[in-house]
Amino acid sequence: MPKSISLRRWLVAAVTGGALLTGAVQAQAKPPECIAPAKPGGGYDLTCRLAANGLQDAKLIDEPMMVSYMPGGIGAVAYNHVTGVRDDDPNLIVAASTGAALNLALGKFGQQHKVDDVRWLGALGVDYGAIVVRKDAPWQNLDELMKAMKQNPSSVVIGAGGTIGSQDWMKAALMAKADDVDPRKLRYVSFEGGGEALAALLGEHIQVFTGDLAELKPQLDSGEIRILAALSEERMGGPYADIPTAKEQGYDVEWPIWRGYYMGPNVSDAEYQKWADRLEQLSETESFAKLREGRGLFPMSKFGDDFHQYVTQQVADFTQLAKDVGLTQ
Amino acid sequence: MNLAADRILSLLLLGLAAFIAVQAWHLDVPFSYDPVGPKAFPLILSALLAILAVVLFVRPGPSGQWPSGALLLRLLFTLVLLFVYAALFVDLGFLATTAIVSVAIAWLFGATPLKALIGGVLLAAGSYLLFTYALGISLPTGSWIEPLLGAN
Amino acid sequence: MFDFLIQGFGVALTPLNLGLAFLGALLGTLFGALPGIGPINGIAILMPLAYTLGLPAESSLILLAGIYTGSEYGGRMSSILLNVPGDAGAVMTTLDGHPLAKKGLAGPALGLSAVSSFIGATVAILGLTLFAPLLAIVAVKFGPAEFFALMIFAFASMSAMMGKDPLKTLIGAVLGVLISTVGVDSGTGVLRFTFDMPELYDGIDFVVMIIGLFAVSEILLMLEHAFRHDQDGEMAPIGRVMVKLSEVLHCKWAILRSSVIGFVIGILPGTGASVASAVAYTTEKRISDHDNSFGTGNMRGLAAPEAANNASAAGSFVPMLTLGIPGSGTTAILLGALMLYNINPGPMMFREQPVVVGGLIASLYIGNVMLLLLNLPLAGVFARVLQVPRWLLVPSVAILAFVGVYQLHSDLMAIYLMLVIGVFGYLLRKFGFSLAPVVLGFVLGGLMEENLRRALSISGGDAAILWQSGLSIGLWVAAALVAFLPLVAGKLKAKFLPAAKAP
Repeated sequence: MPKSISLRRWLVAAVTGGALLTGAVQAQAKPPECIAPAKPGGGYDLTCRLAANGLQDAKLIDEPMMVSYMPGGIGAVAYNHVTGVRDDDPNLIVAASTGAALNLALGKFGQQHKVDDVRWLGALGVDYGAIVVRKDAPWQNLDELMKAMKQNPSSVVIGAGGTIGSQDWMKAALMAKADDVDPRKLRYVSFEGGGEALAALLGEHIQVFTGDLAELKPQLDSGEIRILAALSEERMGGPYADIPTAKEQGYDVEWPIWRGYYMGPNVSDAEYQKWADRLEQLSETESFAKLREGRGLFPMSKFGDDFHQYVTQQVADFTQLAKDVGLTQ
Repeated sequence: MNLAADRILSLLLLGLAAFIAVQAWHLDVPFSYDPVGPKAFPLILSALLAILAVVLFVRPGPSGQWPSGALLLRLLFTLVLLFVYAALFVDLGFLATTAIVSVAIAWLFGATPLKALIGGVLLAAGSYLLFTYALGISLPTGSWIEPLLGAN
Repeated sequence: MFDFLIQGFGVALTPLNLGLAFLGALLGTLFGALPGIGPINGIAILMPLAYTLGLPAESSLILLAGIYTGSEYGGRMSSILLNVPGDAGAVMTTLDGHPLAKKGLAGPALGLSAVSSFIGATVAILGLTLFAPLLAIVAVKFGPAEFFALMIFAFASMSAMMGKDPLKTLIGAVLGVLISTVGVDSGTGVLRFTFDMPELYDGIDFVVMIIGLFAVSEILLMLEHAFRHDQDGEMAPIGRVMVKLSEVLHCKWAILRSSVIGFVIGILPGTGASVASAVAYTTEKRISDHDNSFGTGNMRGLAAPEAANNASAAGSFVPMLTLGIPGSGTTAILLGALMLYNINPGPMMFREQPVVVGGLIASLYIGNVMLLLLNLPLAGVFARVLQVPRWLLVPSVAILAFVGVYQLHSDLMAIYLMLVIGVFGYLLRKFGFSLAPVVLGFVLGGLMEENLRRALSISGGDAAILWQSGLSIGLWVAAALVAFLPLVAGKLKAKFLPAAKAP
């Protein structure tokens, strides 16, 4: 069979040629790496790409940053990996968010893992929780919704993209608690991710969706939904200027979702500081502001030790919160 | 012809069903919003599995030929080889591990030692090139090779 | 009304974008053909590249969509040739595709599946062009109760697969459903069957599962066949390479039916190619398997799942482009890619970004034609994989399995898990089980439990919600029909048409 012989010859030539190439390329320094503790495509992936694209555009790193994936254990596998195997890798950062802090507080990363097991590096942006209903919903503001819920907690069907104990559930539970309603009495449906929950809201299967503010921009623009409250400290600007916060409507609930990074526990102070400075510099550039906006995030500037303390405090708060809402003893 | 195999299987499945049932029974949650809860499905399934296993015990079918002797040894060796491949994949690196394992598998599948050696090494090199350059997939280089390359 | 499409063809037909569409189609076919490396990896790898090269939004979307649709084409190759599914949507393709290859018909099988992929994708792209906004409204009407009814329908049509050993089919399906319960419970967040291993918290990954079940067990079985020189492992010599027109025509209704099924399931958020091809295959077996030859190399059994998985890939663009909600895991990544360009897909996208939407849809048409032209001649080339001696083929399969899983998880535990599942798969096959029910149980069972519990949380425990909407009632009726009608019809037919046989 002449065809296969020529194919084989071609293959041999290609392989030997390539083998020579390989040796040359391998002798390079290790590029910076960002681990997304999830499968490709999720929020952690985008958090990594935010750093990777931003740092490269701003020329703050010499080589393109590699993004790799380590799904498993809602982030626990990556946490194990960084505290155990690559605990001193100065080129490695790992994407994290408020969700990781919550999981640490709930002991979902394993009881042996504490917040101090890694070095929290900094956050490049933040989103806020939002209480969302359909455009034709009977409630015009948060107060009306809360009154209906207070009267009969099971008369309102709430849905979101997380299980009991997840961020989305916490938003609903905190709202209920702010009005002295037992979170266990709610009617809550968990979906696989915010997208499915949003579809369920639009399809009239649920009435209230506890989502994230910036994620909802397309639907907000088209007028499909009404956002009753933003779970932020103060009103956000731009397209969100008309959305009142829960606080100004008399319900003291905030839920920031920061997007940040951590490093291994044994990374030297100098290397840690180098990365913290890099991120801080990045967050001040104009091109990054555009990138962040495109990603649907609001500015947040906490870096280095400042950020480490912030996360530590947050985990402590969440631990208390979990007790308050009846999640743990 | 070989009814015993299915009978053994049915006992194994019964054991599995019991194990699942016990595990599921101990699932406890602070509260749940749906009346079904996390327990019901596994419990129903384990009951179903138990019933099916009993039916299988009563009405076993013939099963094929089971490996024995030299073949069984070869199968076990292949399996061990695959586990070794996994164990060394990161530390020894993709290239070296793949070459070693490919040569061994090729030999197990009846290639002459020379053919196995050439084929296995070429396969490792070729697939490394394909993944790294054509598809942009990064593979472990191996922790032993890094100091040699003087990476810093 | 179709201004955006005319504009779109203007965009897609520029040399750069044509080239990117071709590159995407080629790489996609390759990514899909390699087991374990699917469209998700392909897109995740090329997304940063496209961004770094500074490609405009529509160009990089054309490239990435080419990879997505191309990999649905490519997935069939290793299914047919090696009995190892190339990606999630190609599991059902192994059932009749590989037996055809064993009969020496690998070439025609690859050709036929390329044609049915083409028709499936074309039907779906037409549907996307004509009805996208309308369909999106219907898609969101599909809630948990309707999903549950759809799963009941899917399990009912699975009864068609009972075949020669109903007992083992059932046991296999139950085992599959049980495997789907591993991990964090989606309702309460409690960990089920994870034995304190964080690697199991997210459940058993579908890729790890099918690579283990199929590829690893295939390696062990190939060793047996090689050792015994038995009939079972023998490949008939490769016969003709091209598929005949008569063979395509023989499958025309199977292809069209499955295209519609695939498209409809594709637009539903939360289901993808694996569910689409499973439902299409079992439905087609119910409808046209008159002589019980599905699973032994029936052309229709090959054409149906291939048409469906390609149709579902195109269908999953509908909710993404019109609602901003991904219809599959892969479109979720495409959404992310668009966000890097400051474009928020959603209800306003058709109006605000007609160039991007039109360019994408136009490139789907063009890419689909390219894929057919690429894949028909490739059929002959790829069929030659079967001539590779076994001692070289087996290590190749092992390498692909390892790299695929490692690339996805960067974690050795996932590889060990794959090997353990592989041993499990080998034992199942030795005990005379078919792997398809296990996979189907795994895919459908998880969705069934989740949606049942969601529906009941919505209704506060009232089971009546399960049959309240017209859609769900329709699905319950359809489920009853596929489960019971063939029994009745079979008896009638046996009475009146004793010699009824498929041509």
